[in-house]
Amino acid sequence: MYTFIAKRLAVAVPTLLILIIFSFVLMFAAPGGPFTNERPLPAAVMDNINARYGLDQPYWKQMYDYVYNVVFRFDFGPSFQYRDRTVNDVIAQGFPVTLTYGAWSALVALVVGVSLGIVAALRQNTWLDYLAVGITIGAQALPNFVMAPVLVLIFTLWLGWLPGGGWNGGQWNHVILPVIALSTSYMASIARIMRSSMLEVMNSNFIRTALAKGLPMRRVVMRHALKPALLPVISYLGPAVVGMITGSVVIDVAFSTGGIGQFFVNSAFNRDYAVIMGITILVGALTILFNLLVDVLYAWVDPKIRY
Amino acid sequence: MTYRTKLLTSAAALLIATGGMVMADAHATHPETGVTLATDQSFTYSILDDFPSIDPSLVEDVEGASVARDLFEGLMIENASGEVEPGVATGYEVSDDGLTYTFTLRDNAKWSNGDPVVAADFVYGLQRAANPETASEYSWYIEVMGVANAAAVIAGDMPVDALGISAPDDMTVVYTIDAPRPYFPQMTTFPTTFPLHAATIEEHGSEWTKPENIVSNGAYVLTEYVPQEKLVRARNAMYWDNDSTIMEEVTALIINDSNAALTRYLAGEIDFVMDVPAGQFPRLNAEYPGEALSFPNSCSYYYQFNQSDSGPEALKDANVRRALSLAVNRDVIVANVMAGGQKAAWTFTHWAISGWEQPEIEAASMTQAERNAMAVELMTEAGYGPDNPLSLEIMYNTSDSHQSVAVAIGQMWKQTLGVESTLANQEWATFLNTRGEQNYEVARSAWCADYNEPSTYTDLMTTQSPYNDGRFSDAEIDALLQGAKTADDPMPLYQQAEQIASDNAYFLPIYHYASVRMKAPNLENWPTENLLQNWYSKDLYISASE
Amino acid sequence: MISQSDAKLLNDTAALADVRGRSLWEDARRRFFRNKAAVAGLFVLIAITLFAVFGSYFAKYEADFVDFSLMGANAYQGVPSFSSGHYFGTDIDGRDLFARTVQGTGISLLVGIVGSLVAVIVGTLYGATAGYVGGRTDGTMMRIVDILMSIPFMFVLILMLVIFGRSILMLFIGIGLISWLDMSRIARGQTLTIKNKEFVEAAVATGVSPFTIVLRHIIPNLLGIVIVYATLLVPQMIIFESFISYLGLGVQEPNTSLGALINAGANQMSNGTLWMLLYPLAFFLVTLFAFFFVGDGLRDSLDPKDR
Repeated sequence: MYTFIAKRLAVAVPTLLILIIFSFVLMFAAPGGPFTNERPLPAAVMDNINARYGLDQPYWKQMYDYVYNVVFRFDFGPSFQYRDRTVNDVIAQGFPVTLTYGAWSALVALVVGVSLGIVAALRQNTWLDYLAVGITIGAQALPNFVMAPVLVLIFTLWLGWLPGGGWNGGQWNHVILPVIALSTSYMASIARIMRSSMLEVMNSNFIRTALAKGLPMRRVVMRHALKPALLPVISYLGPAVVGMITGSVVIDVAFSTGGIGQFFVNSAFNRDYAVIMGITILVGALTILFNLLVDVLYAWVDPKIRY
Repeated sequence: MTYRTKLLTSAAALLIATGGMVMADAHATHPETGVTLATDQSFTYSILDDFPSIDPSLVEDVEGASVARDLFEGLMIENASGEVEPGVATGYEVSDDGLTYTFTLRDNAKWSNGDPVVAADFVYGLQRAANPETASEYSWYIEVMGVANAAAVIAGDMPVDALGISAPDDMTVVYTIDAPRPYFPQMTTFPTTFPLHAATIEEHGSEWTKPENIVSNGAYVLTEYVPQEKLVRARNAMYWDNDSTIMEEVTALIINDSNAALTRYLAGEIDFVMDVPAGQFPRLNAEYPGEALSFPNSCSYYYQFNQSDSGPEALKDANVRRALSLAVNRDVIVANVMAGGQKAAWTFTHWAISGWEQPEIEAASMTQAERNAMAVELMTEAGYGPDNPLSLEIMYNTSDSHQSVAVAIGQMWKQTLGVESTLANQEWATFLNTRGEQNYEVARSAWCADYNEPSTYTDLMTTQSPYNDGRFSDAEIDALLQGAKTADDPMPLYQQAEQIASDNAYFLPIYHYASVRMKAPNLENWPTENLLQNWYSKDLYISASE
Repeated sequence: MISQSDAKLLNDTAALADVRGRSLWEDARRRFFRNKAAVAGLFVLIAITLFAVFGSYFAKYEADFVDFSLMGANAYQGVPSFSSGHYFGTDIDGRDLFARTVQGTGISLLVGIVGSLVAVIVGTLYGATAGYVGGRTDGTMMRIVDILMSIPFMFVLILMLVIFGRSILMLFIGIGLISWLDMSRIARGQTLTIKNKEFVEAAVATGVSPFTIVLRHIIPNLLGIVIVYATLLVPQMIIFESFISYLGLGVQEPNTSLGALINAGANQMSNGTLWMLLYPLAFFLVTLFAFFFVGDGLRDSLDPKDR
């Protein structure tokens, strides 16, 4: 097990390097730079700016300096667009926000999705099942950039129950709408996966045996069926969590929450190389971490798997 | 001070404070208008994008400049209609040749930490903005101001001391400029020229604008800044004219989606919306009368024709350009697409620029049917028609309203002239790069005034202007505008230049901007007459609702 | 992206397909046509495809024709009506929404189908090659897949679209390339079991080149699983495209996609022109529902376990 984790972490290093090189190449190939303006800057000013950010260095040197600073100083450099901050500031500001509503969304999606999936599976081909399937497919298909403004219209403008945006340091009433908007489609996916895997498990021999022995349904489900049925959900969680971080772009725009999704997209549009790199590396590292966590969790739940 | 006296004084202070509160509750009125004031003097406004910087030397956007104007105060400030008023300086004197400006500072101006504001702070501020090490993207403004040696200092060829600004004593700031500029005093209201507290900047480096570090001399101090979410500023008790300030607290919310901002305004979370979705003004004005505002904003929206070597042959033909210009029904764009009080444009210079009078442009007085007929004629003359259709690509930067305009113009050309057009949108940075390299056929452009005088526009029509992305060159225009720099009355020269540009259709003016805003009914005194959109929170107040 | 549970199921299915040989297709077809939801989905899909292909013959206006009296501020006058010929009303720019919806449906379908084709073709070829060649090559190839899986591709795609400008080709490539990784894993797993079968050994013995073996013998045997995977992938691609459109990075005007139309409609949600949102959204949802049902039906019918 430990060697497995060690191996995976060893692969993480070249992965992140590839990511850095790839992003660097993309950015150098890009027309226009972070300081392209409606008003072309005088050459002298441009030189000053390039010198200030080390953009006058050869590419390999820039890349080397960058990697060196990240690895040895944990310094992602200054932001090009937001002149008063560093990338570390941006991440320190945006990441906790994304993490907070992301974690809540994951929890909600998991709890509601799994429950809905179990109910649908146990009541297969009843109206309850059809309802659950209908809701989940609808929820999966409805784009959250449509859902978010609808939520604001309903809960803010019409009912006046919740604020229509802002983060306010993560006050509970500012978290609810983002979590609903973000978790819905993942909840739906989890419910669909859970339903089909639950059906499969309930039809397997050991469950049939358990039921035949006269064990109560509730106990069979909770004690015997749940764990194996959860396996596919667990493996879905890795990509789902990463998807939530990426999907946070919509949430950040719709609710002005100020998470890293918004920072990323704005930086991409503004050619803020330093912020793009910082967030890409962060998300890359998170992806690796979550994939690893999911595999470990999987092994822990499924006794058949040995690394 | 003994314990006893201290207690007494604080008790007295408390008494006064509570007395004041009661006053505010029941009787407080605005000193000039006599309007009853609300108890809670705070307001929230929304902006579309986060501030690239609020450091006065680095400020590069309109919203960042508004924050800087609240936090800092320059030599001069503007009143609601854009006229120059004394700021930290009580006034100025101009030398007879118009090249030296001597500003006298007031003696009661203080920094938020209690230090007095002295002339050296202004010198330091301007030098810092020009310093190559600061790498300010707005250092060009110092060149536009004409400050002596600005270009050489910015390029690093001269030391910052060589810059044409000096402080003979603590109360006097002297500017030396390269040519007479009647609008010079107004330029000292711009953040690039603001005084800075050298000790703070040296102590905290790039962290100095953080709320816990910043020292400022304006009517407000920065109390909170959460990037991508909000910026809060509160009354500065050290400000020399603090007694006149009514608004206690101002919050800027960063909302990237203008529809979301509008919804939150309607829900009462916001008092003032900076960016109202395009085309919504008539509906909002009908549904919320008095809350939807529209006022002129000194920017012009135009299309550039690429007339350089890399441009299409057809666009080098004046008849084709004129036909394309005539066929654009500006009234439809102004009334249907933008619908926010914008005005159809036939000249580059914004109609509301002070002293500007529109020259007689023939097309401006025709009906669209006449224009269309003339356009078809010109196009036929140029050799294009149904059997030899012209095709063009319209390039614009990604945005819903630019897209709507491009779609409309493309269709006008198609329906009137049979010109086939394709649309190409690019992200801002890519777009500017493509346009700057003349890698386009027709490109969307806009220009905003740096100061309230026509040359801020007309300078772009010269051959050597770096912003002339159409790369047209007209010796007559160049000569006229050169003459305007020294003429006693440059206005007729500007008009002639515009006339020539229009006759040759070197570019295609489409409309003059207007600002569309939503304003809560009790937020008073918004300076809608300030053409350059400069506003100061200290002039605003909240009236009590009946 | 497809969940691992589906992938696992597909593996089982394919294994069974192999055992049962030809009769599987017969069985599968019978099972599929017994599934009412799936059959309904199939008919809806056919109807939508016909709409996308022939709908423009029924439109009274060209998709790019602007009615100047109905644009922008006057858009609320462009209500859906049969008498005006704007069956679905007009969009904010005064263009016929019916014609735009026809075009948008077509492009969304195209993006979905071509995107998943790219994913399936690349993934299958890659996976089959890795699995067939085996040994160190296999190890390296799959390690590369592991590394690529850890890269946040959504971010990279956004970066690419921002930097190199958008084109429909870029979308196809970008979307397709993101999704081939899962397919390659599945294909490799299947290939490992197929490559020891007699017919492959016979081919090797008669001196057929490895490339031909992969193409002629391995890939045809992966077909069942590939079809199911592709069907499940299409709706994901369409959702994905709508997200890209939301960011303003979708297809170039005057072309449009359902995602772009929905986004434009959502922006006008509270402006009294709700039809701009509802028509494209309805087509979007119905298309996705249909794909989900058909995909589920195909998977169930290729999965012999009784549910």
